[in-house]
Amino acid sequence: MDMFKDKLLSSFIVFENQLNGGKNTPFHQQRRKAIDVFEEKGFPTVKNEEWKYTNLKPIFNKDYNVFLSSEESLEFRDVRRFFLSESDTYKIVFINGFFASWLSSTTHQNYDVCTFSAALERHRDIIDKYAGSIGRNEDNFTALNTSFAREGAFIHVPDGRAVEKPIEIIFLTTNNENNTFSQPRNLVVVGRNASCCVVERHQSLGEQASVSNSVTEIFADEGAQVTYHKIQNDGENASLIDSTTVKQKKDSTVTIHTFSFGGKVTRNNLEFDLEEPGATANLYGISILNNRQLVDNHTVVNHIAPHCQSNELYKGIYDDNARGVFNGKVHVYPHAQKTNAFQENNNLLLADTASVDTKPQLEIYADDVKCSHGCTIGQLDEDALFYLRQRGIPFKEAQALLMFAFTTDALQNLGIPELKNKLNRLIARKLSVSLDFDL
Amino acid sequence: MDILEKVTNSDYKYGFYTNIESDKAPVGLNEDIIRFISAKKEEPEWMLEWRLDAFRNWLKMTEPEWAHVKYTKPNYQDICYYSAPKPKKTIDSLDEVDPELLKTFEKLGISIDEQKRLSGVAVDIVVDSVSVKTTFREKLAEMGIIFCSISDAVREYPELVKKYLGTVVPKSDNFFAALNSAVFTDGSFCYIPKGVRCPMELSTYFRINESGTGQFERTLVIADEGSYVSYLEGCTAPMRDENQLHAAVVELVALDNAEIKYSTVQNWYPGDKEGKGGVFNFVTKRGICERNAKISWTQVETGSAVTWKYPSCILKGDNSIGEFYSVAVTNNYQQADTGTKMIHLGRNTKSTIISKGICAGKSEGSYRGLVKIGPRAQNARNFSQCDSLLMGDACGSHTFPYIEIKNKTAKVEHEATTSKIGEDQLFYCNQRGIPTEEAIALIVNGYCKDVLNQLPMEFAVEAQKLLEVSLEGSVG
Amino acid sequence: MLKIKNLHASIDGNDILRGINLEVKPGEVHAIMGPNGSGKSTLSAVIAGREDYEITEGSIEFAGEDIMELSPEERSHMGLFLSFQYPVEIPGVSVTNFLKTAINESRKGRGQEPMPAKDMLKKMREVMAVLEMDKSFMSRSINEGFSGGEKKRNEIFQMAMLEPKLAILDETDSGLDIDALRIVSNGVNKLRSEKNAFIVITHYQRLLDYIVPDFVHVLHKGKIIKSGGKELALELESKGYDWLKQEATV
Repeated sequence: MDMFKDKLLSSFIVFENQLNGGKNTPFHQQRRKAIDVFEEKGFPTVKNEEWKYTNLKPIFNKDYNVFLSSEESLEFRDVRRFFLSESDTYKIVFINGFFASWLSSTTHQNYDVCTFSAALERHRDIIDKYAGSIGRNEDNFTALNTSFAREGAFIHVPDGRAVEKPIEIIFLTTNNENNTFSQPRNLVVVGRNASCCVVERHQSLGEQASVSNSVTEIFADEGAQVTYHKIQNDGENASLIDSTTVKQKKDSTVTIHTFSFGGKVTRNNLEFDLEEPGATANLYGISILNNRQLVDNHTVVNHIAPHCQSNELYKGIYDDNARGVFNGKVHVYPHAQKTNAFQENNNLLLADTASVDTKPQLEIYADDVKCSHGCTIGQLDEDALFYLRQRGIPFKEAQALLMFAFTTDALQNLGIPELKNKLNRLIARKLSVSLDFDL
Repeated sequence: MDILEKVTNSDYKYGFYTNIESDKAPVGLNEDIIRFISAKKEEPEWMLEWRLDAFRNWLKMTEPEWAHVKYTKPNYQDICYYSAPKPKKTIDSLDEVDPELLKTFEKLGISIDEQKRLSGVAVDIVVDSVSVKTTFREKLAEMGIIFCSISDAVREYPELVKKYLGTVVPKSDNFFAALNSAVFTDGSFCYIPKGVRCPMELSTYFRINESGTGQFERTLVIADEGSYVSYLEGCTAPMRDENQLHAAVVELVALDNAEIKYSTVQNWYPGDKEGKGGVFNFVTKRGICERNAKISWTQVETGSAVTWKYPSCILKGDNSIGEFYSVAVTNNYQQADTGTKMIHLGRNTKSTIISKGICAGKSEGSYRGLVKIGPRAQNARNFSQCDSLLMGDACGSHTFPYIEIKNKTAKVEHEATTSKIGEDQLFYCNQRGIPTEEAIALIVNGYCKDVLNQLPMEFAVEAQKLLEVSLEGSVG
Repeated sequence: MLKIKNLHASIDGNDILRGINLEVKPGEVHAIMGPNGSGKSTLSAVIAGREDYEITEGSIEFAGEDIMELSPEERSHMGLFLSFQYPVEIPGVSVTNFLKTAINESRKGRGQEPMPAKDMLKKMREVMAVLEMDKSFMSRSINEGFSGGEKKRNEIFQMAMLEPKLAILDETDSGLDIDALRIVSNGVNKLRSEKNAFIVITHYQRLLDYIVPDFVHVLHKGKIIKSGGKELALELESKGYDWLKQEATV
């Protein structure tokens, strides 16, 4: 891991030289600070409590191309399958970290749905105010991302506006010849009583190893409504380290859905700061993995202000040699009275070689709170399975049906019909059944 | 909640000091001290070597920091590692025990005579790490049950001690266990022969008396095939300004079809209201279950300034059962990081964890547990319930359950809740004429019922009283 | 027995009771009726000493004593019982254990010896027979998992055990079917004597067919706007509250 770390450190100098005028911005000062943090901390090992169950050595012992070259020969029909819709969504699409304008559909009317680099030019005030102020700058991967942060999605919804179409953010990588390392940086700022709905996806198109170290910062002002979906269904050589941090003001609601169906190693760091009363955070996750896939969901909900609510529900189904890790922390600060925090993690193991490590944690410093967590690991109900089969449903489909039932409560409130259909198909394919189950 | 705030202060009821001339080792720790302890106890050569080996390992280890507790680490060279009440002569019957010591026990509420008469509990009493007297020894011997101090066992039953000592908690298992292995001065030993059901509760009372001493007792309980024993352990210490160290090791061996029930009421001095003094309780307790065996840990933890304790079960044999029932109360500046490990290795193994934490004052209470289902543990079952009750908004309550599952047939359920005593519950009780303090005691007892029910009768009453005393003046 | 004079009470700055006058003598049964939000439950809570309410004016005398400064349990010891509209669940505390503690604390408060366990059990059995309750009830946790009817029966059971001088039944009829209502009322009627008194708070006249009141008061916006005999309840049943509200505003 040290070799790749050294490469990144020297790459920073190259990167800095490419920036020219960009070197004098306040944001670049953050990059400099961040590279120092990364230099000091490097990649985490399993000795780090937060990485106890996920060993990154096999990933970072390899070499990766850090400066990728642009790829302009891809056409929409080549990648159609990764999108929700051809016309009914805004799209911010990147290939190898470069904005693919011909695949995208952005806007600056009423609100901004564009690239981070465009915002660096156009909305420097917003960048300076929010970028780097929400994420965990002391975290190894966030620091590394910040050091090289230049491109990604930028969404800014001013007070009172509602983005009427879903926004698709897609990161494509053409890793046919080389191992690739990319670091998208996203910023979502939603104003007072404004709202938006986002679907994000990372997808590698080649057979070589790829790693994405993605950082997303979400700011939800008073009364804002944000729904964010992450679809993770990448190839067997693709890994994703995603750090999403959310800061919420009074009476805002932010819902994050994480669907993990593929990828070699997927690590989701999801952290919420509920800073003002009345904020609601919803965290829903479904993981269905097989082969040697691993998903590691690390969530932290910081109840800083009183009268906030968090609901967390993660469901996992693991087959073959797949591994699931769940580490959920609810932290109730002193004086955050009347906190209502609910956390649940349920898992199904389908194979002897699959495994689950789960650690739901509560840290509570206020007494007038309602906090609960629960987790279960088990198998499908044999009686129910028998009942379905007795009515003529084949074993595999009966199993799949029960697995669908198992996941349904984490699929509540899924507002976009196209997304629902897409997930239906993805789950069905994942469970290798062709029945049309309704979510 | 004004009414809750004004509730009175309660002093540590067991803070008296018995003046018995003691036989102390020089302060500090090195190989000579260990030789001194071993010589003092007239131990065989192998025991000394075992200790020295543990000591050399300990020197290479560092004190663990992962627990959710903050304290000034003890200076291990500042502690006296051997302190025995000087025996006036060899003691054969209770009549010969130092009357002052007997008074101590009476103050503790465990008058030996009374215990003997009323409940038929056999007691081994350990003051400042040295076993003073084991009652009922002869009566038990008739059934082949060995119940004596571990020092006696080393001399009289070396083959049993040699065979099992350190097999459950290896001598370099962790920092505190290694320290204990090097310097343990006494403790209890118990062996239940094949097929014997021990007819009475066996009990040990531990007490730290001398100032500046550490207590490092070692307990080894072996239940041979098909046998049963219920074992009780109680602890107190006098009030002192400085922190006293207690680092015990308890090893339980439950052979095929055997059952061990191990209950603890821990009431070491918790320090004063400002958090000054109190005992550091760093204890390693572990049991191993062979085929169809069962180990059940029950603990009521109300004392100590800092508690670091995880009574665990290794469910090695098929169909074996592990249980952990715990009530941990922290008040003022107390800190407790406690829980259990259930390691499922055999098939059809079952474990149950019921943990009830109660935090008051400025204290911090944490549940830390591990449930591990190994790849060969077909049909393993675990149920865990970890609840915390917070009293006041200056305390902290935490839950850190680790669950590691490597077998698809496992069924594991974990639940945790955090709550406070509802004002409406209190009002309801008040309205029916129950004063607030009584009401709190009532509600807390209800909350802990699942655990208290596991205790033998005499102990349950004592535990209930302790709960009330610990929480007096706690609510605000 | 109970004398309430010009009672004003508020919660969080909102005035709920605005000048209640009520006198209850031994042997009497008073019914307090009124629409939702008229202050019925507040009145019972204030009499029982709930601290969430601030008494801004007026006085409450019970058994010849000013009880305004007394704690809820002290009022209870004096013989004041409130049957809650929504009885609270207390997990892990059995009915028996709870009652034993309640009874003996009351006795202690009155300077009496604890009740011998034998007598208590005997009495419990008798009362349970009257209320047609199952024995298993005794070992269940207070109200935990009880049905609405069971909770109310449990309230009356406790009332019978505690033998109060004055019992306030706050919407005891809500959530009861007709059989349960009959049983509960029967229990109350058995306890009626020249020495004790009842205040029955209810929304509907139905309960008053079973527990016949001597006086009926109508509460509206924190004030008693009309008092009368039991016939007033019937009048309310047929005419509703509106005519009274109008009368009150005129």
